[in-house]
Amino acid sequence: MTGIHAQDIFERNCIPCHQELPASLQEMFKRYLLVYSSEINMKAGIKHFLLYPSKDISAMSDLFVDTVEMKKKTSLSPKELDEAVDIYWDTYKVFDKLK
Amino acid sequence: MIVLMIILLSTYYYQTQEKLMLSNERASLFKYAYIHAKRMKVLHHFFDERVTYPRDPRFKSAIYDVEFKEIFSLLENKNIHFHEEIYRLDKHIHFVKSLDDFYLGTKYIVIEVEDDGLWKEVIWKNMIGYGLAAFFIFLLFGLYLAKLFLKPMRDSIVLLDRFIKDTTHELNTPLSSILANIEMMDTDVMVEKNRKKLKRINIAAKTVSILYKDLTYLTLEQEKENKDEPIDIKLLVKSRIEYFDILLHSKELEYELNLEDASIVMDKRKLTRVIDNLISNAIKYNKRNGTLGIHLRASELTIWDTGIGIKERKIPYMFDRYTRFNESEGGFGVGLSIVKKILDEYDITIKVTSKINEGTKVVLTW
Repeated sequence: MTGIHAQDIFERNCIPCHQELPASLQEMFKRYLLVYSSEINMKAGIKHFLLYPSKDISAMSDLFVDTVEMKKKTSLSPKELDEAVDIYWDTYKVFDKLK
Repeated sequence: MIVLMIILLSTYYYQTQEKLMLSNERASLFKYAYIHAKRMKVLHHFFDERVTYPRDPRFKSAIYDVEFKEIFSLLENKNIHFHEEIYRLDKHIHFVKSLDDFYLGTKYIVIEVEDDGLWKEVIWKNMIGYGLAAFFIFLLFGLYLAKLFLKPMRDSIVLLDRFIKDTTHELNTPLSSILANIEMMDTDVMVEKNRKKLKRINIAAKTVSILYKDLTYLTLEQEKENKDEPIDIKLLVKSRIEYFDILLHSKELEYELNLEDASIVMDKRKLTRVIDNLISNAIKYNKRNGTLGIHLRASELTIWDTGIGIKERKIPYMFDRYTRFNESEGGFGVGLSIVKKILDEYDITIKVTSKINEGTKVVLTW
């Protein structure tokens, strides 16, 4: 039940806005991986950016952040934010995908 | 000491050669890691359209994130030392490269190649070859040094032996002459004063005679073939007591004889030397008015005295040649070394117990 509810949070709060952007959520995930490497680091980096969005700490390229409007601070509660980020990680993580 | 030194040198040589081998391997492994990093960059770019991990027939590889968590691995040995750049594990060599850009989250690339062990074979051959050579060189050097340091001691022993041999040879005629003439003298016609003097001369001559017999045995007779025969020990002890009678009286010693019948098969000359030396010592180191005891059982002979005794820690050394613990008494210190040699030859055990100022007890068992 919790999984279905959390996935709803991610689909409801993240996907709609990202569909409009030139870079996909997969592309962004890889940008974060390139900077943060591990699960703990990456989740902490994403959460920090969502709570305090800034051009300086964005993992995206300068061209991207100059082109699109800077994201606004998240309205999700800390618990909801954790759930949404966990779903994001589980959806795009590299582990067990390489062959 | 030599072996320890060679082991230390071999260990140092082995470690140095292992480092040298790793240093030689480092260049090619670094190249492999560089190639793999490039491939990871491409895979990162095309992920997740492409998910096939890059493989290379020349090496095996693995990728780990910043928290050392395995992302993907083809390694046979997964025991990774992340804080060492290059190292050897059993039959594998690992090279760890840290990346600045974390392609697919990769912080560490680990390259693994097989260690063919050829370098180890060469090292072992060298270690055994040079180790043996060093061992023999050290051994020869050690022997040479030992010989050099022991030479003065050996020279002095040879000199002493030669002196004793020469002196012994010259003692025979005068000593026989003195003893024969003493025996022939008619003491009945002597005045008391001269009789006492003659007695003293007799004691002195017999003391010298025992020493002469020891020295003769040592230098000339010990190499003679044994004439083993059954000996009545009781009879022999009695005759030797009689021989030493004048010495016993000179020290005013009492003797306590407790002799049972006993026999042994051995060379009579040798058994006489043993008994003479033990009785002579028991007299020589006894106190005036003391007691000399001889107990004979079927396979045990005990000779004890009430003399000055010997310190317990010195007992094991009393059979060494030229060892004398009391400088006030004459002699060369050869008597007990002869005794020990004879007893060892006939498997006779000797046990010495002694207390300072109380006396010494010598027990022979066969």
